[in-house]
Amino acid sequence: MSSNHGHHHDHDHDHDHAHGHDHPHSPPAPDDDDGYDRYEVLLQTAIRELLDEKGIITAAELHAQIDKQDSLTPAIGGKIVAKAWLDPVFKKQLLSAPLKTINQHFELDITTPLELVVLENTPQVHNVVVCTLCSCYPRMLLGIPPAWYKSIDYRSRVVVEPRKVLAEFGTDIPDDVEVRVSDSTADLRFLVLPNRPSGTQGMTEAQLAGLVTRDSMIGTSLALQP
Amino acid sequence: MTERKVNDIGGLPAGPVCQDEHPNTLHEKRVDALLRILSGSTLKAFTVDAMRRTIESNTEDDYRNLGYYDKWIRAVRDLVVEQQILSRAEIEARVELLRSKHKKVAA
Amino acid sequence: MTAFTPRPGQALPVGAPVRVRQQPPEPHCRTPFYLRGIKGEITDVMGCFRDPSLLAFHKPGLPMRVLYRVRFKQADVWPNYSGSPKDTVVADIYDHWIEPLAGEKA
Repeated sequence: MSSNHGHHHDHDHDHDHAHGHDHPHSPPAPDDDDGYDRYEVLLQTAIRELLDEKGIITAAELHAQIDKQDSLTPAIGGKIVAKAWLDPVFKKQLLSAPLKTINQHFELDITTPLELVVLENTPQVHNVVVCTLCSCYPRMLLGIPPAWYKSIDYRSRVVVEPRKVLAEFGTDIPDDVEVRVSDSTADLRFLVLPNRPSGTQGMTEAQLAGLVTRDSMIGTSLALQP
Repeated sequence: MTERKVNDIGGLPAGPVCQDEHPNTLHEKRVDALLRILSGSTLKAFTVDAMRRTIESNTEDDYRNLGYYDKWIRAVRDLVVEQQILSRAEIEARVELLRSKHKKVAA
Repeated sequence: MTAFTPRPGQALPVGAPVRVRQQPPEPHCRTPFYLRGIKGEITDVMGCFRDPSLLAFHKPGLPMRVLYRVRFKQADVWPNYSGSPKDTVVADIYDHWIEPLAGEKA
């Protein structure tokens, strides 16, 4: 498919389809869904071309947005969590003024539609996040959400049987710990601050960040044991 | 007006959560990027709330069976038309042009 | 119970027992069906924001509404909840979907 672009001028971004390419953060993706026999692919191409021709969104602007989104990964969230584990002052500021604290400490310029809320896991409370009504997710800190987060099954079930859903992720929370589901019904964004695993004394911030998985910041998993 | 729209699914029966993942395809990234720019602070072509509202207007069958990015690109289509940025006719004409061009090449 | 809609700057306090209203949903509604009519407790007052049900139709979304985080016991939400009695669900609800419960425990 990648050779059929005609007047399209974005060959340099076809890294998903050239299996020989060495792409740093995107292994070859299944391309069966990207065939031009699909209406939605034709539709996306049509809209993209028309907007470019009219100067409303140029191909360069689209590339820049794709690259910007590609640069956002759970590593950002992981650094925030690791710092919160090590630095009680940072953690306190993070919990009371999350966006401001993150932007200041990490010299970022993150915005959210409304507010960012950091949900701290404690020995008494385990937090898990969902958007039952659509798929709101803290993309600026965790990148694109996984397909399961956006799925009908997760969105339907995690509010009514969270422990069963967590068990499917291999996560068992004892009955004496409250499982608190946050349903992201307004435009707030949520980041779970997972418990610091035991046996991590003396680890550096970078080492700790390596234990923080994306799923532990959604709440379907715990952070990794070292 | 029904009490519960097609997207309002919290608590409804559903199946095991499929945890398969793949990095977004180029098509999916383009859909996402179009949406972000069109709803972003520079263009403000439409609101994210309008995107959601448009997706909620799918039938239950379409809502459940169309792919996630398929719903998004159809909503982008409906909103650029609603906001008079592009016409439905020119979009569908371009779709047909692209369809016939790619058919020829695939042969 | 009288309806009570706070003006921006005038909000229900954290800890206030409330009930999610049962009323016809707007064409674009962000109050999930599963929470309507359920008693809960305000845990956070997030501030005043534009009404998404109006923003969805490219209206200005004014007057701004107070956004609350409201916590519900899962045992109150679901008739046969099978998890722990400690479990809760928290949702973000705008003020026009909330009524205070004076004198009642959530």
